[in-house]
Amino acid sequence: MEIKITTQQMLKILQVVSWIIFIGLCIDAGGIVFNVVCTFAISPLYTSNFWKEADLSALYRYDPGYFVVIALLMVIVAVLKALLFYLIIKLFINKRLNLSRPFSFEIKQLLLNISWLILGIGLFSHSGREYAEWLSKRGVKMPDPQSMRLDGADVWLFMAVILFVVAQVIKRGIEIQRENDLTI
Amino acid sequence: MPIIVNLDVMMAKRKMSLNELSEKVDITLSNLSILKTGKAKAIRFSTLEAICKALDCQPADLLEYRV
Repeated sequence: MEIKITTQQMLKILQVVSWIIFIGLCIDAGGIVFNVVCTFAISPLYTSNFWKEADLSALYRYDPGYFVVIALLMVIVAVLKALLFYLIIKLFINKRLNLSRPFSFEIKQLLLNISWLILGIGLFSHSGREYAEWLSKRGVKMPDPQSMRLDGADVWLFMAVILFVVAQVIKRGIEIQRENDLTI
Repeated sequence: MPIIVNLDVMMAKRKMSLNELSEKVDITLSNLSILKTGKAKAIRFSTLEAICKALDCQPADLLEYRV
């Protein structure tokens, strides 16, 4: 029996997946922010059992200033990731995706925004990772970048470049479509 | 765009309405309106030929280059 999945069905599935990822990323970002706030407002003990078992107690003991920088980078990366999926969800909610005319200025703008966000995630992840390595060299026991959610910077950067190229191709497609529409 | 479409001028000279022209050249009113308002990016030779035939004019009467 052949199962045919139409574009509409595929988009419905992607919408559900996007919602799940978005909620997960929001929880992730909220968890990091909550831990940082708790560390400063309640007790520094929260650093030893940080979000996703990233042990930042050694860093906090070494210098709370460095801890703030690493925590800030983690928060920025987590928020940017959540924002990325918020943009995709907004596309589904606002019903701006018109399948009869898929090449629109909104889609081009969305792709450009997504690529800027991904570039930001890549750059902040990279700087966070470099910063963590630098701290490790200074003798601070740092958790691995994966538990700090700062891994895969190179993949994000590659993805940003690819999306920039796709956005440019779509931009040209829109121009041709518009010219075609306005040819009498 | 420095290319000006003088369709409205020719229509006025021939005392022809947009509806009448639309019926004669078999082009939708919205497309004729795009052409008339100068929003069009290009015009097909076949369309130009049909309009020239309906308005009994030359392409130069419809199109003008102005810097």
